[in-house]
Parts: sequence; structure tokens; C-alpha cells
Amino acid sequence: MKILEVQHLVKEFGGLRANDDISFSLEKEELTGVIGPNGAGKTTLFNCIAGLHPVTSGRIFFDGRDITALKAHEVARLGLARTFQVYTAAGDLNVEENVMVGCFMRTASRTEARRRARRILAELNLEEHADALVSELPVAAQKQVTMATALGTAPKLLLLDEVAAGLNPSEIDQIMDTIRHLHHDLGITIVLIEHVMALVMNVCQRLVVLDYGKKIADGGPEDIADNPQVIKAYLGERYVAEHTGELS
Amino acid sequence: METLKNAFDFSDFPRSDLVVAGVLALALAAFPFLSPSSFAMATMIQFFMFSIYGMGWNTIGGYGGQVDLGKAQYVGIGAYTTAVMLIRWDIPFWVSMPVGMCLSVMWSFIIGYPLFRLKGHYFAIATIATSLVLKDLFEVWDFVGAARGLEISPIKYHPPDFLRLIFRDDIYYYYIIFAFFLAGIVYINWFRKSRLGFQLRSIKDNEEVARSLGINVHWAKIKTYAIATAFVSVAGSFHACYIKNIEPEDTMSLDISILIALMAMLGGAGSLWGPIIGAGILIPLKSYLKEWLGARAGLVGIDLIIYALIIMVISAKEPRGIWGIVERVRRRKRRR
Ligand SMILES: Nc1ncnc2c1ncn2[C@@H]1O[C@H](COP(=O)(O)OP(=O)(O)OP(=O)(O)O)[C@@H](O)[C@H]1O
Ligand SMILES: [Mg+2]
Repeated sequence: MKILEVQHLVKEFGGLRANDDISFSLEKEELTGVIGPNGAGKTTLFNCIAGLHPVTSGRIFFDGRDITALKAHEVARLGLARTFQVYTAAGDLNVEENVMVGCFMRTASRTEARRRARRILAELNLEEHADALVSELPVAAQKQVTMATALGTAPKLLLLDEVAAGLNPSEIDQIMDTIRHLHHDLGITIVLIEHVMALVMNVCQRLVVLDYGKKIADGGPEDIADNPQVIKAYLGERYVAEHTGELS
Repeated sequence: METLKNAFDFSDFPRSDLVVAGVLALALAAFPFLSPSSFAMATMIQFFMFSIYGMGWNTIGGYGGQVDLGKAQYVGIGAYTTAVMLIRWDIPFWVSMPVGMCLSVMWSFIIGYPLFRLKGHYFAIATIATSLVLKDLFEVWDFVGAARGLEISPIKYHPPDFLRLIFRDDIYYYYIIFAFFLAGIVYINWFRKSRLGFQLRSIKDNEEVARSLGINVHWAKIKTYAIATAFVSVAGSFHACYIKNIEPEDTMSLDISILIALMAMLGGAGSLWGPIIGAGILIPLKSYLKEWLGARAGLVGIDLIIYALIIMVISAKEPRGIWGIVERVRRRKRRR
């Protein structure tokens, strides 16, 4: 069953077509990566799906419902959560309180919100940081807090925008484990935008590639890695050189 | 049940805070028996009133981060409703106060809807404008006495009149407003931990993130603005019975709006104790300056200079005010 379906999505900023006729659909419990060079329109795609930007044309269906015209908070309440590329978390709230903001979407009770927040923090091994201010944490933990907050809304579909950016290899491993855990054990459908190729190639079952606002490829990681158009547009000359170098 | 429990649960504050707060509350309760001067009594009553204004402001302005510089219009609506109803129809305070609150809240919805389409400075300026428009309106509206205002004449009543809140001795006013003050603290203590309180703090931090967490940002702001308004209106109604002589100028002027916001920011916007600390500093200062300046007409306006200085220092040094400093020091200690 399809959980998300994007049909001929176009998003223009003035004269700029940040998303140009993008169509794809996701099955439930898929783990999909969206890749593409800087400025390709990945974040814009998330913003359109999540209702933060009104779309110029095209349709978006989530869980069988047309959400194209819905506002961001309405989309969120249907079960679509996301993290933000640059944002980490609310500065004057501690970690647990940040996660509680997410949990409050599904309950008005503080006791219940706190109970859920604690469960999520335990799930992501963040309990020890519960009382810390987010700004006091290492970047990797901050990123996990944003994921925890999104999880607080009990989403069916989770959009992650560059959660591994700026992390070192061991932190990336840790984030990968977390993502796999959410996907495997909690059964959440995930779409992630990522520049860190190790992560994308390792965890994603499927990749959607954007370039200059257009979808240029869509398929399994191995196919994408071999796709000449992708290699040229995204991975670039250097990647090609490295890999031919490796072979010889 | 849970609501009530949360409202009276202060356990997330350190013990030392609660001891200090308890001692201060007892001192405030005992104050009228220490044979204070009438000037001191009047200053304390003003302190309670402005604390209530500030607590109200703090919901939308502090927790929600929407700098509202138009709170005086609700002082006016509350005060005028109570005065008009008493003078014209002999309706007691305990009826006119909730009526005034309803009128204030209705007005807040009407102007809140468009106001909250604006952000940042535009919002702040628009709140000033709405407040001034209302003041101008009252200045030409004969039904409410136009620029002369209204006067509640105590001779007509038989003080102590607990229904109409007409007293000769300030001690009655003192304890009544003290009770409102305590109720306000309990309410805000619930509010800051409620769903709406959390939503506002998220909105203050980043509206796009708040929306993506299912928060209807516009509606949350309007609701909170109505709560803030209700606080101010109640204390405004009290003001009418206490001062007995109300004019547009001294209920709805910009000075009052600014003082309300400034107090809360000085004490610590977005904290339970902030507005009270701010009122505790600025109200005595203001009363004292007024007395002192009475003799030196040439220095009128020095209070504005002091306010301006405070604004500059707060925004440059510690946007979270005095309470922000306290919390920062505490965090640093704890981390050691
Ligand atoms: N709110 C906006 N207003 C105007 N232009 C925008 C806006 N958001 C994005 N753009 C433009 O749309 C294009 C796509 O941006 P987008 O942020 O979606 O790229 P991206 O693929 O996420 O890039 P990155 O990998 O750097 O995050 C860019 O040219 C960007 O400047
Ligand atoms: Mg991006």
C-alpha cells in the first residue's frame, strides 16, 4: 500500500523552479533516500510535502488523502513528521521538554506527554541527557533530539533532512543504527535527505536523485551508483575518477 | 484533577526558591500590620496590580515571544466596564469584572486575528496602534465621560462595601488584590506546564518547527493573547474601584503598556517569577520618582530615560532578564 504519492510536483520561487515536475511514490515501511547536489531542491521537496510551502502545481497524497492544500500543522496531525536541516531544538527547553512538545500533539495531558517523551528518549539512548539544555550537547546528540521530538508526534512517515551532516564517522554509525532501529523495529516509513554517501548506500533500500529541481533517477542503491546520468550530474568527475582508479 | 495538581505543584523549583517565595508571601501578608505609610500601602497595591498585568503579558510576550506593547487597552476596557456598570446601573464589581473580562477577550479576538498575521516589530507597532486608537475613541465618547473620564463617588455607598469594592481603608484593597495576585501565580504555574505553554515556547523558538509539530501557530497565539488580556482586564476592573477616578490618559496611555512589558522583560520574560521581580523593582522606583519629581517639575520625563536605559541594557546583556541571570549562574554551578 502506498503511503506517499507525489504527482507532477512543481514549486517555483519567483522565476526559479526549485522542484520541476517531480513524481514518485513510497510504499509503507520503505526506507528511501533523496540525494542530489546542493541546491537540487531536496529540502524544498520536503517543505512542499510537509505543507510548509504552498505548491505551484501538482498533487501530494499521504495515506490515501490529498494533502496538497493542507497546512503544515494539519499534515503533521495526519502522521507526517520531519526534522529540519539547520534547526536543532528549542534553546530554553531541556531535552525532555523538547520531546514533550512533539508528544503534546497527541495528548493534552502533561503526565502522558512526559511518559511518552521518556519512552522515546530511552528508545534512542538519550535518557542521560534528559535534563540537559540542547545547546550543551554534542552535535550528534542534538540531531538525535530533533529526531526524538519528531517521533513524539507518533508519525507514520518521517522525513529526515541531513541528520548526519557535520558528524564524524563513529557518530554517523550511531545515527545509522538509530535510523535502522526506527525503521526495522518501530516500522516507521522513512525518507532521508543525505550527502553522506556511506549512510545513504548502507541504509536506504531505494534512492531518488534530484538535480536542478528534476528527478533524474529512482531505484535501488546499486542501480543508482551505476547510473551514468547520476554519476555525471551528482557524483561528478572526481567520483568517476576514483572508481575507475580503484578498478585499474 | 491533573490540572489542579499541576497548578499547585511548584516542585520543579529548587527548595531555596520556594523558601524565599514563602517568606516573601508571609511578609506581604503581614505588611499592612507593620503600620506602613499610606504611600507605602499605595505603592504595594500598585505592585500587585502591575504584577498581574505583567503575569498576563508574560504569557504571550514572555513564553510566546510576541512583544505586545498594547496591554493598556485592556486595563481600559476592564476599568471602564466596571466603572460604567457601577455608576450607571449600580452593578457590583463581582459581576462587572467578569463582564469586562469577556468584553476584553472578545476585543482581543477581533484584533488578535489580524494582529497575529504580523511578525516581530510589525506586530509590536500594531499593538501600540490598536491601543492608541481605543484610547482616542474613549476620549471622545460621551457615554464613558470622554476625556474627563468617570468618577466613582464613594459618598453614595457605604464602605466597606465588599460587593462594589468600595472601601475607605486601603487595607481591604490590599488583601483583595493580594488574593488575585496569588491566584494569578497559581494560574501561570499551571499555564507554563500546560500543552499551550509548551506550544508557545516552541513557537517562540521557531514557528516553522512548531507548525511541523502539529501546532496551529496562529490559533495558539490568539488563545494566549486572550488569556493575557483576561489577566489585565481583571486588574483593570480593580483599578477602577481602587482609584475611583478613571480617565483614558491614565488607564490606556502608551506609558502603561510599555511599563507592563518592560517590567516583565526586566524581571525575566518567560519565567514565572520574572514579572513579579520586575514589578518589585520598577513600581517602587516609579512611585518614588513621581513623589520626588513632583517637587522638581523640570525633571519630568526622567522615568522614561530610565526605562530606555533598562531596555538597552536588557537587550544587550541578558534578554532573559534578571531571572535569566539567576538561571545561568545556577546552570554553571551545577555543571561544575
Ligand atoms: N524560501 C525560498 N525562497 C526562495 N528560494 C528558495 C527558497 N528555498 C529554497 N530556495 C531555492 O531553491 C533551490 C533549492 O533549494 P533547496 O534548499 O531545496 O536545495 P537542497 O537540495 O536542499 O540543497 P542543500 O543540499 O544545499 O540543502 C535553491 O536554489 C534555493 O536557493
Ligand atoms: Mg537542503
